Amino acid sequence: MFAYIIRRIFAAVVLLLVVSAVTFAIFFLLPRFAGETTDQLAAQYIGKNPSPEAIAAVKSNLGLDQPLYTQYWNFLKALVSGAEYKFGPEPATCHVPCFGYSFKNHLEVWPEMTSRIPVTISLAIGAAVLWLVSGVTTGVISALKPRSIFDRLSMGVALAGVSLPVFFTGALLLTLFSYEWPILDNLEYVDFTDDPLMWARNLILPWVSLAFLYSALYARLTRAGMLETMSEDYIRTARAKGLAERKVVVKHGLRSALTPIITIFGMDLGLLLGGALITEQVFSLKGVGQFAVQAISDNDLPKILGVTLLAAFFIVVCNLVVDLLYALVDPRVRLS
Amino acid sequence: MRRSRTLALTAAAAAVVMVVTGCSSSAKGGSGKSSAGANDANAGGANAAVKNIVNASDKKGGTVTYEMKGTPDSLDPGNTYYAYIYNFSRLYGRPLTTFNPAAGEDGNKLVPDLAESLGQPSADGLTWTYKLRAGLKYDDGTPITSKDVKYAVERSNFAPEVNSNGPTYFHDLLVDNPDKYQGPYKDKSGDLKSIETPDDTTIIFHLQHPFADFDYLVSAPQTVPVPQAKDTGADYVKHIAASGSYKFESYEDGKQAVLVPNTNWDKSTDPIRKQLADKIVLKMNIDQATIDKDLLAGNAQVDLVGGGVDPQTQAQILRDDKLKAKTDNAYGGRLVYMAINSKVAPFDNIECRKAVQFAIDKVAVQTALGGPIRGQVANTVLPPDIPGHQDFNLYETKDNKGDEAKAKDALKACGKDSISTVLSARTERATEVAAATQIQAQLKKVGINVEIQQFPQGKYLTDSAGAPQFTQDHNIGLMMMQWGADWPTGYGFLQQIVDGRAIKPSGNSNLAQLNDPAVNKLLDDAAVNPDRAAREKIYGDIDKKVMESATYVPLTDFKVFLYRPDNATNIASTPAFSGEYDYLNIGTTK
Amino acid sequence: MTAPITTAGNEPEAPASPSPAKTIEGRSLGRIAWTRFKRDKAAVAGGVVVILLILLALLSQPIESLFGLDPDASNTDLLDADLGGLPFGDWGGMSGDHPLGVDPLQGRDLLARVIDGSWVSLLVAFGATLLSNTLGAVLGVMAGYYGGWVDTLISRLMDVFLAFPLLLFAIAISASLQGGAFGLHGLPLHIMVLIFVIGFFNWPYMGRIVRGQTLSLREREFVHAARSLGARGPFILFKELLPNLVGPILVYSTLLIPTNILFEAGLSFLGVGIQPPQSSWGGMLADAKNYYQVDPQYMVVPGLAIFITVLAFNLLGDGLRDALDPKSN
Repeated sequence: MFAYIIRRIFAAVVLLLVVSAVTFAIFFLLPRFAGETTDQLAAQYIGKNPSPEAIAAVKSNLGLDQPLYTQYWNFLKALVSGAEYKFGPEPATCHVPCFGYSFKNHLEVWPEMTSRIPVTISLAIGAAVLWLVSGVTTGVISALKPRSIFDRLSMGVALAGVSLPVFFTGALLLTLFSYEWPILDNLEYVDFTDDPLMWARNLILPWVSLAFLYSALYARLTRAGMLETMSEDYIRTARAKGLAERKVVVKHGLRSALTPIITIFGMDLGLLLGGALITEQVFSLKGVGQFAVQAISDNDLPKILGVTLLAAFFIVVCNLVVDLLYALVDPRVRLS
Repeated sequence: MRRSRTLALTAAAAAVVMVVTGCSSSAKGGSGKSSAGANDANAGGANAAVKNIVNASDKKGGTVTYEMKGTPDSLDPGNTYYAYIYNFSRLYGRPLTTFNPAAGEDGNKLVPDLAESLGQPSADGLTWTYKLRAGLKYDDGTPITSKDVKYAVERSNFAPEVNSNGPTYFHDLLVDNPDKYQGPYKDKSGDLKSIETPDDTTIIFHLQHPFADFDYLVSAPQTVPVPQAKDTGADYVKHIAASGSYKFESYEDGKQAVLVPNTNWDKSTDPIRKQLADKIVLKMNIDQATIDKDLLAGNAQVDLVGGGVDPQTQAQILRDDKLKAKTDNAYGGRLVYMAINSKVAPFDNIECRKAVQFAIDKVAVQTALGGPIRGQVANTVLPPDIPGHQDFNLYETKDNKGDEAKAKDALKACGKDSISTVLSARTERATEVAAATQIQAQLKKVGINVEIQQFPQGKYLTDSAGAPQFTQDHNIGLMMMQWGADWPTGYGFLQQIVDGRAIKPSGNSNLAQLNDPAVNKLLDDAAVNPDRAAREKIYGDIDKKVMESATYVPLTDFKVFLYRPDNATNIASTPAFSGEYDYLNIGTTK
Repeated sequence: MTAPITTAGNEPEAPASPSPAKTIEGRSLGRIAWTRFKRDKAAVAGGVVVILLILLALLSQPIESLFGLDPDASNTDLLDADLGGLPFGDWGGMSGDHPLGVDPLQGRDLLARVIDGSWVSLLVAFGATLLSNTLGAVLGVMAGYYGGWVDTLISRLMDVFLAFPLLLFAIAISASLQGGAFGLHGLPLHIMVLIFVIGFFNWPYMGRIVRGQTLSLREREFVHAARSLGARGPFILFKELLPNLVGPILVYSTLLIPTNILFEAGLSFLGVGIQPPQSSWGGMLADAKNYYQVDPQYMVVPGLAIFITVLAFNLLGDGLRDALDPKSN
């Protein structure tokens, strides 16, 4: 088991390295395709009518004049050992993990980015709990009574759920419950540790609008999985052995139907932790996604690079956790 | 040009600048006499805050909440170029001079702030001297000296690799050191010799050439004092030393800032600030729809960006007379126009430019830009709220709806039956694209075939429309643009867009590439003329000369549409800050 | 963005209905599927709508000129300029001339714009689906068939692609290519970029499905038979395996299209999709967002267009999957 864990973690680290290299290449190469020169890139950092000397200084200070692989190497080096920049009154130390300085406001990227993580985690986890519970329950009931009214109705709603854009549902909820009937007004993120009740109250609407989309997906998935497993031989055997129906459903049916769902759940959660871009935008939540959108609209390369890597990190970690959980539950996985 | 709104990905209407002498709203209110605390000052009604301070009050306490879409470039007074931060920063920083917190024309008046009087120019106009008030302190109790003002100008104008956002007028205007001053970060021991501080309360600026608007220049937050010992470069924004009536309690980048009263600020040194609210909260990155709803519900007092409410909030308000009575529709000191590139054929021929002038139905364009609420049809370059504006129209068409016959005649005079050209516009601005689409259809009728090309606004002036070589290479003959002044004078408005010597290979604002020696000379004359009235007459003359060249097609004079919540006090829309409310003394009854 | 990996789990018919299998013994697989598909009313309805939509998209230009619809013609006389350019009337300017009303600011006919937007939305969705599923199918079948280091390489590649934050990447890339790139600009560029960003990072989903299917098919008798008759790799790949993969590929494609339509709408919502004056459903919806309280009509039109299209493709996809599912055979 231990060896397996080490192997998986090592693989995850390699994966992240590859992702970072590709991301780095894309974001520094793409502007070239769009016709941007290194000078223009440096000029972005300085702003108004920069003099050629100022551009040259920035280029050498940020290392923009070096070959791409050297720049990438420096980026990695800064990530693990920090870096020093010669701007401002004193040489500034960019602490580990150093993602560099924003082109726009010249502040360190990492602390700014991490200050957004609690918001996004709250949003993602809350919504995930909501959609898992509602989606799986609906799916199971539907599967047990296929073609019943409940089944048709909930699958109809689910179909609508996956067919509606989240910004539409979000805007609708916000208008209805925050302004039309102001039962949930003044929504503003509050830290869980400060006031758990306010935390939950102010996140309910974004949770619901996200969960609506996902629970629809998960209900359909669960229903399909349950229908499949419930027709398997071992279920018939369990029933024949006189096991209580509830036990059959929960212990045997649900368990194996949920296995593929856990994998997908790991991926979805990972993606969301990297920022629920649209939901955060609609609800003015200052999470990682909002940070990303702002960075992109400012064309702030170090921030874009940082937030992409952070998002990739979450995806990889979530997948890793799922894999390890499997290994824990099912010893066969470790051997393959 | 000061920017008024962040480059948001979603469509952004824009806004910079000022207000109204001949605003249509004058039908409603009294004589236009407007002084704080006057009898009718508290009267509400539509456009009341364009003429007077509405809800004038000295009531203390409460929390005033500002909300904004996106983030500001920086709250650091030495690192910003947004009109609304120029306005807001006065709460925690005092420049040498500032604008009178009042409505309408009175808001355009400069008053001494950190200085005890406006600047004293020397006879040759090359030296300006300011004397600081006595007893000024930072929020930590240490005294403010003229050296801190000097340092603030140095760091904001000579260190672009750290403080890159602000304009560099001082850099361009002050006499440089013989060996080129490298800024306070690179050159720690040296300083800029052309700013003298003979003692702790005196500061003297030495200019390369006379500049009559210098008092306006020092009203920028770049003269807000910064103690060198506290300057940590880009990080300074996290612990700004306050000289105004408020100081920072907290600052979280991209999220919010909280201001509380500065106990070391002394009312006796400050005739204009009131220090009413117990707390001022600035929330960033709020969705515009949410901001509007919070304003209507009284949860927030001010939309910091000050460009006005969303189109749908606007329609809701306009349909409801009660709500409409709490709005202000003020000029934003900004011209929406289309520049005709005089260097791209066939628009190097004035007749071809005239054909465009006559072909455009400005009323339809106005509708695409959001209707009369969002701007009056314009026929001159100078907006009506800039002193020196004169009414005239060199290319008259019936009801401003365009004249196909005249346009075709002009085209014939130019020796063309048809023209193919490119019209550039900024992607993020929905109304600008809508207006461009209108113009495309109108020009087609007279034989001018236009292809619309869109560019991201962040690179519009640096890489595309503002790069003459690029426009040449891509046959960009027509360019959509908006322009607001950095300070409310004809010079501040005109110089960057009509001075032929201001044409730059990148970041060019003189999009038409107009280089008329007569215009250039008039500008120089105005810059050195100490007589205000004479200067204003010159600005009108420049405007006429520019319109004669047919290089600019004025479309509308931009207007803001602001909502003022009942619980906000001392509300006055000021032309000095793009028609925004003056933020200096807003309190709350909440 | 969650891709409908739903297809990975095959949804069988309810256990109660395997009886018809007897009566259709001896027919080809396709016939069986078709018979079963025909019985599924929702799926047939979805299919009909999808066909109509595709026809509409293909024929949008002739249809527009036939009915004299011009998506770019503005009618400012229909707008209340004093209200900020909203259409006159309660229903977004609905009239005989403009059955679905006109848009604010410019007064362009919404029917014309929604028709004109259909080809862009469908082109982007189809293009992206084609790109990701071709990549996914080819690489998936190679991984599954050859196994060994090829499988390892392709599987690791999938891991890398799956680790990219899809939406974030799509936005960043489209934003940085807005102005012009690869010698393209304007509409062709935007369509190309959208197809690329939506399609290119999505292929591993298809890849995993096809790889799994190939792994199981590889061991089936007919493949062994072909191999023992001396058939070479490529022949087996294309003549024996691919035809048997058509089913799952088709089903998954049908279900990926609606996801991609929503994806395009989401990108437009964030301002990096198709740019005006070209109309697209996502772009219209993003525009209408600014007016949904005062001119709901404007949001309803593209909203319904998206909803109906996505629903139709989902119904069709569900039906196809049920019909083609080998388990209930």
